[in-house]
Amino acid sequence: MADLGRAALIVTFGLVLWATFAGAWAARLGRRRLADSAANALLAAFVSTGIASVVLLGALVRHDFSFTYVADHTSTRLARAYSVSAFWGGQEGSLLLWLLVLCGYAGAAVLLNRRRAPDVVAWTVPVLGAVASFFAFLLVAVASPFATQTAPAQGSGLNPSLQNPYMLAHPPLLYLGYVGLTVPFAFGMGALLAGRADERWIVATRRWTLVAWTALGVGQLLGAHWAYVEVGWGGFYAWDPVENAALMPWLAATAFLHSVMIQEKRGMLKVWNMLLILLAFGLSLFGTFLTRSGVVNSIHSFTQSSIGPWFLGFICVVVAGSLALIFYRLPLLRSKTRLESLVSREATFLYNNLLLVAFCLTVLWGVAFPMLSEAVRGEPRTLAGPYYNFFLRTFGLPLLLLMGIGPLVAWRRSSLAAVGRTFVWPFAVSVVVGIVLIAAGAGSSTAGLLAYTFSAFVLASIVLEFVRGTRAAGSLLHLVSRNRRRYGGYVVHAAIVLLAIGIAGSAYGSTREAKLLPGQSMRVGGYELTYRALGDTRTAAALERRAEVDVARSGDRVATVFPGKNAYIAEQQTSNEMAIYTNWWRAEDVDVIADQMDPKTGVVYFKVLVKPLVNFLWIGGVVFLFGSLIALWPDAREQRRLVARYALAQS
Amino acid sequence: MARKRNPARLVIALSVAGVLAIFLLYTSLVAQGTPSLQPSDLAGHSGNVTLGGLVVGRPTGNGHDTALRFTIRDRKGTATVPVSYRGTVPDLFRSGRDVAVQGKLQGGVFVAERNTLVTKCPSKYTPAKHQQQPPGY
Repeated sequence: MADLGRAALIVTFGLVLWATFAGAWAARLGRRRLADSAANALLAAFVSTGIASVVLLGALVRHDFSFTYVADHTSTRLARAYSVSAFWGGQEGSLLLWLLVLCGYAGAAVLLNRRRAPDVVAWTVPVLGAVASFFAFLLVAVASPFATQTAPAQGSGLNPSLQNPYMLAHPPLLYLGYVGLTVPFAFGMGALLAGRADERWIVATRRWTLVAWTALGVGQLLGAHWAYVEVGWGGFYAWDPVENAALMPWLAATAFLHSVMIQEKRGMLKVWNMLLILLAFGLSLFGTFLTRSGVVNSIHSFTQSSIGPWFLGFICVVVAGSLALIFYRLPLLRSKTRLESLVSREATFLYNNLLLVAFCLTVLWGVAFPMLSEAVRGEPRTLAGPYYNFFLRTFGLPLLLLMGIGPLVAWRRSSLAAVGRTFVWPFAVSVVVGIVLIAAGAGSSTAGLLAYTFSAFVLASIVLEFVRGTRAAGSLLHLVSRNRRRYGGYVVHAAIVLLAIGIAGSAYGSTREAKLLPGQSMRVGGYELTYRALGDTRTAAALERRAEVDVARSGDRVATVFPGKNAYIAEQQTSNEMAIYTNWWRAEDVDVIADQMDPKTGVVYFKVLVKPLVNFLWIGGVVFLFGSLIALWPDAREQRRLVARYALAQS
Repeated sequence: MARKRNPARLVIALSVAGVLAIFLLYTSLVAQGTPSLQPSDLAGHSGNVTLGGLVVGRPTGNGHDTALRFTIRDRKGTATVPVSYRGTVPDLFRSGRDVAVQGKLQGGVFVAERNTLVTKCPSKYTPAKHQQQPPGY
């Protein structure tokens, strides 16, 4: 079976090479049939990569330990679902998933657009083919998932912290996001190569960017939730290089999603958009490089492997090639119009872009700092939480405010007086909220107070937009279904506000540690926790030790929680099992961690964190997905507009 | 005809300059970063550093009542330094693991800051095949 997988990958490699070279040849000489053949090669590559994936999946499910990959990442004790998730639990499988997703995206994007914009697609095919060739090459020559060995009796099992339902969704979603950014990148470069720098590539890839961006966003939030409930340190984001690796392309793609609207509507910022999509795609490659090469210290460090230099080389080629292409096509990328006023929708988009990119680059600087300082000073130095938090406040708070201002400012030209009139209500709401918050004692954190005041402002301006629109359109449903993109966007804005509320809540949290004997209590953030007893349970996979803790608020017992640890037998690992009591009424969590437990004396060292408003993050995630779906949902009216637009561009 | 002044350029230039100014000021005044060192590089560093390396020998203490005491060795080398630590001990902490901890060298002992010990996830797990006893906590 391993031979079949290997053969399928070699076929894929051949097909994507054909797509690259025949495609470029065909596009250069305008050979229609050869171009079709190159595009079909991409579709066929999806099928052959699919076959390779099925072979690997089959081996994982059957526990065929003659596959080195299977033996290294599963064991017969592993549940079926986690045997499947081991597909992306290791490096070779992850690369295969990457290639599979890439071929899937490429095939679908080419199929959907080859009739509409044949000249652009003809050049997009070789770009997609080149990216796929790189991954196919890695899988064939450097990191094959189909290496075989004499089958051992038992496999090594999967890292216990990966034996988690989140493992089924979080990595594939991140891959959908990372890889999805290839589509707009390839269409952008395809448009440049074809010498067609009109707006068609943006219109054709808007949904693809949105899909990738949504998947990346939801994937990261799932990761944050996973870290929060499972890893057991009571936090959800630690500015770890691997987390930042997913955040950076998301920030760049967010900037891109906004700035393409200006190009669509006003024909401006063409060079900027090309640079942004290059940045987003380059960062998604850089993220993979970071996680796979071991060049920076991360608590996530995966297998340190030989593919790091390949990735670095590929990133350099992509960035240098794309920059050269953009430079070569600069004359085509002249703006048709210019910014008319600093108080206009375009201008707010511009400010938003500058802030997002500035934040993205400061994160990049922080991630690269150990490497840079080692090169310059001879010793690696690490920038930690305070650095990132400073820039999150410096750039994030103005961004939050802009989210409330932007939608209310008119396109092209507006006056300060007009803007002032529009903002009466949101401003009044935010002032009232600010005063109430200061009275409630939220002034202990200036950044937190600002974040909440701005949040109130943004939410009020979104509500105002909905109310106005509904009045004009007659009904809310009518309004949203006729302008899905716009109102979906507002819902996403509301979700970002919820995220901001959740994140800013950490400024008001409290933490306490205590050593308790059964019967003793501790107080933290208005709660009284009483430790009752310690008990062990044995399951097939692990010994589970739990402390029973009563949680009380103002004298009334509200919950009993069971923090503890699991000792996994096969993997010889312990894992912390934090207990969470969620007080929905106060929108806060009480996280109880049993740090050390002594079964002889019953002594337990507890760490308790009260985290106000943390649940807004998860609610925000659901709203985010909902808003994105509204914006993504197919719209017949928009399709008709698109067709007209294509016709116009081609004439 | 004279080219009309484009307000966008002015704004972009000013914003970029502003962002750069904040960035440079902050990075030069506040964020110098913490050096990441291994035991052999420790000599001559009196300030706060992140010390990384492999745990060797048998750790003693629990990190709460009594300080957790262990020795860190260079990842590829022989230099070692004793470490004294208090706070949460990660699940994966044990002899042979790659760990990192923040603190400073005081009189030949690396005194760690509270709750700064992290272990790097080992890339592969090689369980002992016949042992059925769960490991201790």
